[in-house]
Amino acid sequence: MTSLTASAALSKGRGQLVHIRQHSLLTARLRLLLVIAGFTLVALAALLRLTYIGFVQPAPQTRSLAEALLPSRGEITDRNGAPLARAFPAYALWYNPKAMGDSGSPLVKSPEKVAARLKAIFPDLDEKQVAEQLAKGKAGYLRRRVLPEEANQVHEIGEVALELPQETDRYYPQGNMAAHVLGYVAADGHGRVGMEQVLDKVLTDPATRGTPQKLSIDMRVQGALEDELRRGMLMVDAVGAAGIVLDVDTGEVMALASLPEFDPNKIDAAGEKNMFNRVTNQVYELGSTFKPLSVAAAIDAGVVTDLSKRYQSRKPIAIGGFHIRDSHPMGDTLNVPEALIHSSNIVTAQIADELGPKRLKKTMADLGMNERPYIELPARGFPIWQKSDWGRLRGMTVSYGHGIAVTPLHLASAYAAMVNGGIWRPATLHKLGPGEAPRGRRVFKASTSARMNQLLRMIAVFGTGRNADAPGFRVGGKTGSAEKPGNGGYRHHTLVSTFAAAFPMDKPRYVVIAMLDEPKGTQASSYQRTAAWNAAPIVGRLVPRIGPMLGVKPDSSRDIDLSDLRPLVHGGE
Amino acid sequence: MKPSFLPEPMAAQPWRVIIPLTLLTFFGAAVLYSAAGGSFQPFASSQLIRYFIFLILALVASYMPQHIVKMAAFPIYGAVVLLLFGVEAVGAIGGGSQRWLNIGPLVLQPSELMKPAIVLVLAQFYHSLPPGMTGSWRALIPAGVLLAVPMALVMAQPDLGTSLAIAFGGIVVMFMAGLPMKWFIGGGVAGLIAVPLAFFFGLEEYQQRRVTTFLDPESDPLGAGYHITQSKIAIGSGGLFGKGFGNGTQSHLNYLPEPHTDFVFATMAEEWGLLGGLAVLLIFGLVLRWGMNVSRRAPDRFSSLLAGGMTATIFFYVAINLMMVMGLAPVVGIPLPFMSHGGSSMMTNMICVGTIMMVDRWSQSTQSSGFR
Repeated sequence: MTSLTASAALSKGRGQLVHIRQHSLLTARLRLLLVIAGFTLVALAALLRLTYIGFVQPAPQTRSLAEALLPSRGEITDRNGAPLARAFPAYALWYNPKAMGDSGSPLVKSPEKVAARLKAIFPDLDEKQVAEQLAKGKAGYLRRRVLPEEANQVHEIGEVALELPQETDRYYPQGNMAAHVLGYVAADGHGRVGMEQVLDKVLTDPATRGTPQKLSIDMRVQGALEDELRRGMLMVDAVGAAGIVLDVDTGEVMALASLPEFDPNKIDAAGEKNMFNRVTNQVYELGSTFKPLSVAAAIDAGVVTDLSKRYQSRKPIAIGGFHIRDSHPMGDTLNVPEALIHSSNIVTAQIADELGPKRLKKTMADLGMNERPYIELPARGFPIWQKSDWGRLRGMTVSYGHGIAVTPLHLASAYAAMVNGGIWRPATLHKLGPGEAPRGRRVFKASTSARMNQLLRMIAVFGTGRNADAPGFRVGGKTGSAEKPGNGGYRHHTLVSTFAAAFPMDKPRYVVIAMLDEPKGTQASSYQRTAAWNAAPIVGRLVPRIGPMLGVKPDSSRDIDLSDLRPLVHGGE
Repeated sequence: MKPSFLPEPMAAQPWRVIIPLTLLTFFGAAVLYSAAGGSFQPFASSQLIRYFIFLILALVASYMPQHIVKMAAFPIYGAVVLLLFGVEAVGAIGGGSQRWLNIGPLVLQPSELMKPAIVLVLAQFYHSLPPGMTGSWRALIPAGVLLAVPMALVMAQPDLGTSLAIAFGGIVVMFMAGLPMKWFIGGGVAGLIAVPLAFFFGLEEYQQRRVTTFLDPESDPLGAGYHITQSKIAIGSGGLFGKGFGNGTQSHLNYLPEPHTDFVFATMAEEWGLLGGLAVLLIFGLVLRWGMNVSRRAPDRFSSLLAGGMTATIFFYVAINLMMVMGLAPVVGIPLPFMSHGGSSMMTNMICVGTIMMVDRWSQSTQSSGFR
């Protein structure tokens, strides 16, 4: 009965009732549309929200159970998996004045009394300062590291405001060992100085921190290197020492030590002073250790074809107002092996002059001497390197290791290239799997490298490196004793003594560099300051210790064949 | 419109709503199957059985003639109000509040029945009101009383969500009945003033916390904000295509609360992604559009108001549930129609659907009887 349609109503004429009915019908239509519009708006809002949640809004931080079980910071191990740095749960002592939960005094007893009780537990506590902090009612650490037993004693004081939150600390089970390689973790939870800084992201990322990071370091080799370096350093009262053991075929650093070191477990002002890394950050004029590199460059370039050719060695070379001398007279003439055995500056300079500064510079650059050393560590020193063309004098001085300053690591990489068949590779602190070694670049011909292995071995057998010749390990190497530059020229009694070695020379596997900073002449070094008496013996003692660990067994029945060169040197029949 | 190859009784069924609804329920059952850890028990099978029983009941009920429905409107309303009083009385006697009545083996939740009942009674009320009086107080006061009594009773249970649902259905009917717009605007302003008052004096503490949590869920992600935070994680982690059927970790590992009832949409979105969410929204859109179309095509005011109010009631369920799950509305415990596991919500929504089908049939019979 009420179901009149609009058209039916219209046909009835324009009565008041009809008008109202029509009007209300229109209103109803309109209202319905409004409701529909409202629905549509809400649907649109839902749609937008859904898209927003799915794509724009960052997912809330979720911590899965698996993640909670991971260490808070990943472990660092040596190449064999021995832990070098790990997360270690520890207690801290935190003062929380709000712990009581009311507006009254945060402590039950007086601050002085509580401080006295704490002092009884921690004898080194500054009682007055702690009492002040407690009285002030400001939240903060009272002590960062508390032993479990001490934590129990603090608990027994019965103060709610003294909280003992568990925190994870970084622990270096080997103490000071490899401190410069590892670095430490600062209070902000991020790594500093060494691989802790380099690997910071990997060590903290939940996706990766579950797997320990393997370094190329071998803990046993590292320990031996540090031990022998420290011994050598203390015997000659040197201010510092640096050492490195490098795999010549892969560039992996087996051990790297800079002394004096710091304790990554306990960072203090004294430790911070020692954080400077002498191996990768300090550049030195490394002196005569450069001579084999220069000779190798000359042989490689075809400048030296006959090792028996004799060079004059009596007269100092005068060039540009500068005199190149030898440390002691070595006779009228020397051939190339003799020049290396006796470490003659005069002969090396003549060879370098024949080679020419341009070609020498190119070889040095190929050996990476013109840029920061290749290693992951953040602190890497820039060499003192003349960028412009080298003159004759520069070429001559560089040939015996002056007028160029590089880090010991530069020298190690260069020696590795010289002995491994001629390929230069960047050094690395990451353990490399089989086939992961970089291809490197060829600097010397394989024949040059073979010849240099003979010459290096001869230095250790007949020359200044005799103290490094560990029986059975076929060590070869070159000494270098450079005067350190001081005010207005070189200081004659302040030396940097280096021994750059490789072993076993019949098939070189490792380069060992030992360097002493400012050694003194002591009884242990027969009152000598030169490398033959302090740095070479370190290598001589070190190689027998690390050789077996690295798979090099002593064997007196094997050696590199020196029969073609032996007749060239006096005393070699 | 009607395919000729179907026999008349088959063709007379409202397939355009039955098909989407069935699809939606099957999809919901798949989600429940996954939420139960890959099992039809205990959620999916009972949900499907319930759906088909209620669907048949709704189809049968849709043949009800209009004059009987009109006649029954006030008695039904009265009966449900009595049931609500019954709930209060039983609660008062038994000690502690409750929302349902046990009548023999039957568990009845009168507040659910009230949602369609209020729409029905208000539609009848405005139908019987002469059109000239829609602007006067006589259009408002009796309707207001009809609405306020059940609202107050449900609020006292206390069940804020259902109370609001009843209010929404009623107010939409009043709105479509053409009450003056200024009343709604005035009511809205009054509501804005009343909301803070109601928040501080009318809500239980747990309800207050839900609202404050809604406003800032990250303030307490493990406590009161847990529901919303986990729900958003579930939806967000689904991405575009979801994690795949049966791969939802939020629901399976019990991070998500109520994964089979109130938060079933989050469970679905985690496994089916944004595409699943869009599909659900689309189906609800189809169903609601059908309801509104029925209301628009309805032959008279009563039918139009009835269909519109029922559609609004379904819409309220969908909108509040989705907004709650997405963190746009406080957690009020309203299930998602046809997807959430639960009998009473299925019943209410099927009553609404059945009523709209009924109105559809009325309008078809008026058209086919050659009235115009």
